[in-house]
Amino acid sequence: MRQLLRVYRAIFVAEFQAAAQYRVQSVLWLLFAIIRPVVFLAAWSAAAATQGGRIGDMTISDFAAYYVAVTLVSQLTMSWNAYDFELEIRQGKLSPKLLRPLHPLHYSVVENIVFKVATMPALLPVLVLIAWTFQARFATTWGHVLLFVPSVLLAAALRFMFGWLMATFAFWTTRVHGIMHVYDRLVFLFAGQLAPLSLLGGLASIAYWLPFGYMLWAPSEILRGGASIDQALGMIAIQAMWLALSWLGFLGLWQLGLRQFSAVGA
Amino acid sequence: MVATLRSLFARRFKEVPAVQDVSFDIDEGEIVGFLGPNGAGKTTTLKMLSGLLYPTSGEVRVLGHTPWKREQGLLSTITLVMGNRSQLLWDIPAADSLRVLQEIFQLSEHTYRASLDELTDLLELEPLLHKPVRNLSLGERMKVEFAAALIHQPRVLFLDEPTIGLDVTMQARIRRFVSDYNRRTGASILLTSHYMDDVVALCKRVIVIHHGRLLYDGALTGLAERMAPHKLIRVTLSHEADLASYGEVVSHEENTTTLKVSREEAADRTAQLVHDLHGQMLDLTLEDPAIEEVIDRVFSEAQVALAAGV
Repeated sequence: MRQLLRVYRAIFVAEFQAAAQYRVQSVLWLLFAIIRPVVFLAAWSAAAATQGGRIGDMTISDFAAYYVAVTLVSQLTMSWNAYDFELEIRQGKLSPKLLRPLHPLHYSVVENIVFKVATMPALLPVLVLIAWTFQARFATTWGHVLLFVPSVLLAAALRFMFGWLMATFAFWTTRVHGIMHVYDRLVFLFAGQLAPLSLLGGLASIAYWLPFGYMLWAPSEILRGGASIDQALGMIAIQAMWLALSWLGFLGLWQLGLRQFSAVGA
Repeated sequence: MVATLRSLFARRFKEVPAVQDVSFDIDEGEIVGFLGPNGAGKTTTLKMLSGLLYPTSGEVRVLGHTPWKREQGLLSTITLVMGNRSQLLWDIPAADSLRVLQEIFQLSEHTYRASLDELTDLLELEPLLHKPVRNLSLGERMKVEFAAALIHQPRVLFLDEPTIGLDVTMQARIRRFVSDYNRRTGASILLTSHYMDDVVALCKRVIVIHHGRLLYDGALTGLAERMAPHKLIRVTLSHEADLASYGEVVSHEENTTTLKVSREEAADRTAQLVHDLHGQMLDLTLEDPAIEEVIDRVFSEAQVALAAGV
């Protein structure tokens, strides 16, 4: 474990240097990350305003708190490794990684952390500004804050592992763009980006059974205080279950995929 | 067009074995040239030996390990260098990527320093290590790629076209480096190259494959003996002369004639030339055909045999 941390530190230093050279790109990515939830927040606020300031049990201020939380969680749990993995396979860059005594997954873990560390300082003031503009109302207690930490970590790990699950299909297809488009749409629909799950109507009951909500919706609800402590603990348990399943699925697919790997482009 | 449309609905796959019945052993400290035309199965074999590919059948042992199990013990002691392929981070200096490799391979500071100093010395890396990799020329990048591939002091090196695209000076430097590394560390090296200079300079033994099958495994010198049944006699006389009666004239420039004779007759023909022309002869050499020519002949004959279904 100590050795792994040393490896992580070395990769972190190298990747941070590389990321520092593309600051503008990071800011643009951040902008994209903010635009979508702000658009949805504006739309839900407008819709709520026409219905006496409330939809279901959520007021405009609740929507504001939810979307501020969703934006933060979305950024903290973002994972793009499937696209990177596809490129690595197609360009033959996976091969040198496979020949080192370190699982390729570890590089992505650090790259992922680097991006978040690099962009978080710019995101936080923007979120404060949005919260202030839309008068977000948080019902968060210290208990929620405490539970938010494991919940967002589990959500990040879950999104990351699902990204890797999708990525491993590239061993067979060398392309995962199509699969990722489907996956991204499912996340969009069922993870709570479009709307809090409780407002999904008939889809809500499906959404609770799917893993996507536990990537965004669950930690966001915990952060804004929209779930009771008991509900929060239940959500965390389900997150842990999905994480364990995705990890097992990944291990199996990875072993099968390696057998299939044709090391193209290398 | 029709075939493309049809493939959208019903795809047909054809299984093509990339490598078949290729067996060989390589001793510790040996440098072996692995030759074959494009598509012969060289890179496929190297990928199997390094563990990137699972073969459908057969057995491979490298330092006692089965490569595709990718055990730490093996990965820490082998390397695969592919010309024109990069394993370094593009945007940062190589020195920083090497630090990452130090941690991945768990090299102590002392081992890392010693290894880096040695590589810096052999490859003249000092001015290159602190520039972003993207700013290096192809030749310079290849040198730092070598450093990255060898920082953990591997005992087995798979070199796939390591000098491809490099100028003559850089090719010679890389060759010298590979030879020095082999001498210093006793590492075993399997090398593919389309530049015969690489093979002649480094390899006493060569393995030739074609269409995934082994054609020859033995001494480089023996390859010419076995595969090219003729020798070349180059004679320079003090005047113009027609020497066609001594053998097939391959080339004739001013007073120098090159004759092709069968291997068995080479000694007799040479003696005869010396006997008949000794007063007019300025120079005479007897040599094997150029290795490129031999290889080319091997491949074209194999191609013909294959086409004829032999």
